[in-house]
Amino acid sequence: MNRQSDFAPRDTRRCHQFVPTTTRREALRASAAGFGQLALAALCGQQATAASVPSDVAAVASLPHVVARAKRVIFLFMWGGPSHVDLFDPKPRLNAADGQPLAGSLVGSDREQLGTLLGSPFRFAQHGDSGVWISELFPHLSRHADRLCVIRSLHTEGSAHGEALLRLHTGQANLVRPSVGAWVSYGLGSENENLPAFVTISPPRGHGGVQNYGSAFLPAAHQGMAIGSAEIPISKAVVSNLTNPDLDPGFQRRQLDLIQSINRRHLRQTADDQNIEGLIANYELAFRMQSAMPQIMSLNQETKETLDLYGVDAEPTDNFGRQCLLARKLAEAGVRYIQVSTDYTWDHHQKVRQGSITESAKVDRPIAGLLEDLSRRGLLEDTLVVWGAEFGRTPMAENGDGRNHHPKAFTMWMAGGGAKGGLTYGATDDFGYAPVDNPVHMHDLHATMLYALGLDHERLTWRHAGRDFRLTDVYGRVVHDVLT
Amino acid sequence: MTTIEPTDVWRLRQQVDLCPARRNSYRVKSLALRTERKISGVSFQLAMQKNAGWKPTPRFDATVISRLILKSSRSARCLLLCLSAVMIAPLNADEPPAPEAVEYFEKQVRPLLIARCYSCHSQKAGKQEGGLLLDSRPGWIQGGDNGPALTPGDTDHSLLIRAVRYTDPDLQMPPDKALPPDAVAVLEEWVRMGAPDPRTSSAVDAASHQDPSDPVAGRTHWAFQPLGGEHVPAVEATDWPRSPIDAFVLARLEQQQLQPAADADRRTLIRRLYFQLTGLPPAPEDVAEFLEDKQPDAVERLVDRLLNSTQFGECWGRHWLDLARYADSNGLDENFLFREAWRYRNWVIDAVNADLPYDQFLLQQIAGDLLPWDSIEQRDRQRIGAGFLVVGPKVLLGNDPNERIMDVADEQLDTIGKTVLGQTLGCARCHDHKFDPIPTADYYALAGILTSTEVMEQRYMLGQQRVMERLAGLGAQGDEADGAYETYWRERPQRQDNLKHGKSALELLEKNDLPAVRKLAEAHAGVVAAVALDEQQTMAARLEAQKALVAELEAAAAPPQIPPRAMIPGDRAKPRDEAIRLAGQFNKPGKTIPRGVLHVISETGIRMPEHESGRVELARWLTDTDDGAGHLAARVMANRVWHHLIGRGLVRTVDNFGRTGEPPTHPELLDHLARELIESGWSVRTLIRQIVLSRTFAMSSRDNESGRLADPENQWLWRAHRRRLGPESLRDAMLAAAGTLDLTPMDSTVSYLGDQATAVGENKNRRRTDFPCRSVYLPVIRNDLPEVFDVFDFADPHATTGLRPQTMVAPQGLFILNDALVMDAATATARRVLAEVAGSGDTHGDDALPAIADRMFELVLNALPEDTEQAELIAFVRSAEQHFAAVGREEPKLRAWAAACQALFASSRFQILDDIGLGPE
Repeated sequence: MNRQSDFAPRDTRRCHQFVPTTTRREALRASAAGFGQLALAALCGQQATAASVPSDVAAVASLPHVVARAKRVIFLFMWGGPSHVDLFDPKPRLNAADGQPLAGSLVGSDREQLGTLLGSPFRFAQHGDSGVWISELFPHLSRHADRLCVIRSLHTEGSAHGEALLRLHTGQANLVRPSVGAWVSYGLGSENENLPAFVTISPPRGHGGVQNYGSAFLPAAHQGMAIGSAEIPISKAVVSNLTNPDLDPGFQRRQLDLIQSINRRHLRQTADDQNIEGLIANYELAFRMQSAMPQIMSLNQETKETLDLYGVDAEPTDNFGRQCLLARKLAEAGVRYIQVSTDYTWDHHQKVRQGSITESAKVDRPIAGLLEDLSRRGLLEDTLVVWGAEFGRTPMAENGDGRNHHPKAFTMWMAGGGAKGGLTYGATDDFGYAPVDNPVHMHDLHATMLYALGLDHERLTWRHAGRDFRLTDVYGRVVHDVLT
Repeated sequence: MTTIEPTDVWRLRQQVDLCPARRNSYRVKSLALRTERKISGVSFQLAMQKNAGWKPTPRFDATVISRLILKSSRSARCLLLCLSAVMIAPLNADEPPAPEAVEYFEKQVRPLLIARCYSCHSQKAGKQEGGLLLDSRPGWIQGGDNGPALTPGDTDHSLLIRAVRYTDPDLQMPPDKALPPDAVAVLEEWVRMGAPDPRTSSAVDAASHQDPSDPVAGRTHWAFQPLGGEHVPAVEATDWPRSPIDAFVLARLEQQQLQPAADADRRTLIRRLYFQLTGLPPAPEDVAEFLEDKQPDAVERLVDRLLNSTQFGECWGRHWLDLARYADSNGLDENFLFREAWRYRNWVIDAVNADLPYDQFLLQQIAGDLLPWDSIEQRDRQRIGAGFLVVGPKVLLGNDPNERIMDVADEQLDTIGKTVLGQTLGCARCHDHKFDPIPTADYYALAGILTSTEVMEQRYMLGQQRVMERLAGLGAQGDEADGAYETYWRERPQRQDNLKHGKSALELLEKNDLPAVRKLAEAHAGVVAAVALDEQQTMAARLEAQKALVAELEAAAAPPQIPPRAMIPGDRAKPRDEAIRLAGQFNKPGKTIPRGVLHVISETGIRMPEHESGRVELARWLTDTDDGAGHLAARVMANRVWHHLIGRGLVRTVDNFGRTGEPPTHPELLDHLARELIESGWSVRTLIRQIVLSRTFAMSSRDNESGRLADPENQWLWRAHRRRLGPESLRDAMLAAAGTLDLTPMDSTVSYLGDQATAVGENKNRRRTDFPCRSVYLPVIRNDLPEVFDVFDFADPHATTGLRPQTMVAPQGLFILNDALVMDAATATARRVLAEVAGSGDTHGDDALPAIADRMFELVLNALPEDTEQAELIAFVRSAEQHFAAVGREEPKLRAWAAACQALFASSRFQILDDIGLGPE
């Protein structure tokens, strides 16, 4: 293990983000190939923070740790927790036992009775050459069945949303830890010098809020940039401070020239102080981001056919369609980790039937459109698309026609770069209560996602407060069977 | 053919020893060497874990080893045995078991134990997870915290077998990955055989692999040593030092053959003093007065004035609030509002302004609720101070209550450990500390004090009963008022029902429907007035009586004012010692440990009271310089003061004085400062005063070639550090320039929020940031900080932060270029300057431009512009004014100057404290 001091002399730890613009551009260009970005990122931003440094220079130098199957991730987050037995995990025995009590002994629970079973009202069918089972609520997605790797045996902890959301997004609930996207940003860096590596579209404001896309002790450059928030329609969403309400860009450039002139004069007086260099470079970056982002946010350049593909301008798909289309544009622009979140609409304690119908209809066509569009553009092969939520829902009824939170077993699926298409992996018992075959814990999912990106979850570490931290803490194993 | 060298395996094993992550499994796995069968005849391959990145050194051919040692063996496990034979010399047992049993052990069992168990359960690895050693027969006989690891002959009652079977979700070993079934079968067979084991004692001399968590050996670490004696060093440049502090610094510089920088000029010095002591810039008038003051004690008088200003406490109180992870909401999973937390915030500010001695300051925060009091005011002050323990973040929903108790105690221990002692105590929750002399037993000794304390209680919130932070009423009638408030919420549904029924009774009475009124009265007590039922009375009187009752019911149903309350801990009815939790799992209790303190500091420990949690004793122990942690606590605090004033701690890892932290650059100086702190009666203000009056503090920040080459990080302090302004100072300084900063201290700035602090669901209220007050009073909502805080590296209020991160990220640039806070402050500053210059009546029109530029420079930068700077600013303003006029904007001149002022706010000269107006040497 590398026991180097947290404070090596400046020449070896000089922050490349702080060198004059041309050199910095070169550095970033080199990093666009995915080379050495971790080292770069690690040395940047937080060089003044003594308590926190990359842990293992050897690991940094050996990136990628393994062959990368994907260059980026699009994570489709269904806030609230969709019901797996109604969408991806058909259970004939559950349906047959509708209205009957579920004895704990049948599903390995110590409790005598677990509640009254609620069968699924939805028809399931096998799709594609692979015969992946999908419920009738996802007709558009079903056409992509052979692209899906459906994992039916996810499990996690946290029976309340807040805890489960934090575990899904950061691996931990009772401590503040970097989010998955921040780790990916740290590991891979951005492919686009004008954009952050991690963007989250319409993130939840509650249930951990910004913690779910925060960088915690990783350098702040790795935190997710938020576009809007869950309760705001994406068409009205903004990135804060991306535009000036008062000054037009042409004038702002002149103002920036004045700022930089003052700063450069100061810099000359100080024999190239790193913080002043950094400030100068940073204003340029901000200014470039300011012009780059509106182009990405605008859907004006998209054809009618593309908009239709996502269900944009049609209901109920318009909002999620726009979010997915934006995700594609960000993927195209080189963002490494893109999360798309629904509003808090999947929490069906009552009327799970109607709720599932309504919410599926909002996302089915947009998701299918995203997969199709990515595929047409040749992006799907190196974009890992992941669909899922903080937990699933009970096979037992709640309030008569609803289902309660269920972290013990639920379904997620992956598609695209690295995902083994047409595979159904893992299984739950006859009622969808607990995994009985190939259980996949949330930590395993994280390890697997990182692995698909060429990152070994055990080597992607950061030294903080005296020890090395990683996304999966001391847990997690890569589920090689779901990867190509 | 792959070749390996035993020493390489040894080296890898050493890495396991040093491995910092808890049970960092991949290295262990790589040690297992993936023995799975590549063996054919004499050739084999040691397949390393795919990514271990380790290339074996071809020293001697593995074929040779296998020929020499393995002979006919085809088992890869035997290979491991042979390799381990190099590493671990087998010892003879006193009473050796049957030879075939030994053979089974050696061939099947020992390699397995080495490969999968020793990394956490052997003396050689220096680890004894759960108290268990598996590297000798006595090790498993004695067993760990759970008792003997196995019962010879009885697999089902052997913990080790249960653990490796992985059927018990709470006891699964090895933790990283289950053993393959054949390996489990090997262990089962071994136990059935009666567990023959020739290993009489640990194979490797324990002394050569000292346990880092050993408290006795740990006393040699510098931070645990008593403070050294006072030896102010002799220096060559005897005229330079003004105080012992300077002598310590200069001695080091001379050792390194470095020169201290020149004294900073007066403008630089006053700006630095203002920002470091109050977080605010001096007004131009303050600067002028100081420049005029030629008395020798001018600096001293300035310092004393600043130290006695309210703004001092607001600035230095905030430093403490960073450590206390102060916030106005819970954060984490359910972001409930801490409606009363502001009282603790203001208590800290007041305590700093009153220079409450640090030992008292700690005592009140850790045990304020348990201290005696002479007046209600004193009681309340102490209660509010104890909020320190309560303001931490907690997972509130869905988790097991017993788990929560341990989590809360852990959070408090982590906070106290880092803040006061610079120790990462939390590491010892699951296992003995990997680096520092803190065994798990010491962790649970401390935890018992805190689990004997409650900081949560059942209360009504959001209309339902929830477990939330503990509160107590303030003032003489506080408890009653708090009780009444709680009663209201408990009875609210009933009271609302009563009101409804009372009103219907009134309506029925008006309709003269007596039977229905009687029916109501029978069904619901207290909703119909007795007089109303009395037919002897006139209808008017009966109506009157019912109306009066309805009014009463209405009053009872209306929510009362929230009474003044404090967040406050309380002792449980019965304090209890805590059991070690195996592997940190809350539901796996092991041995019970008497409440106590760290053995590395106090050999004999301290007496814990029978009927109290022990918080008073803990707090006293923390600053006890005879038998407690006083010397360490003084070092940690003195270092924090130095860090804030000078820009970098003598120990740069300010929250980590352990072995993974940095040693001090100037150990004698650190001890000097610590001693000064103790001898002043723990007066932090006195220490601050000593440091800012030193010549070291007053150095210029100018670079020079020799210094930069020899010590680019400036660790020997050959010049002053340049400092970036934190978000509070950044905002306050902009508002100060604008003249819009209101220095009045604030109470709550979150009272308008609902119980959910983050605007989610029905609750659309979000924290406001538009208060004109100082930043320290702005709402600190976890996960929803004011944007200026969020963007400019405010301390994450979820955990102790002694050293804020310093980042350079695009959102900072975007904030300065576009945020309304900056734009508004710039406009207000421009308006102010234009009015002031116009008001002075000296100059008009273009002639006034230089005066405006000068005044703006002074207000924002405490500097006068050089000629080129002035000309540049004026040229920009002229062209900007034309631009705004051309695009038809109102007040083009004001806008032009506002844009110029924004540029000054954006400049490094504003955001980075540096020498004012001096070029390089």
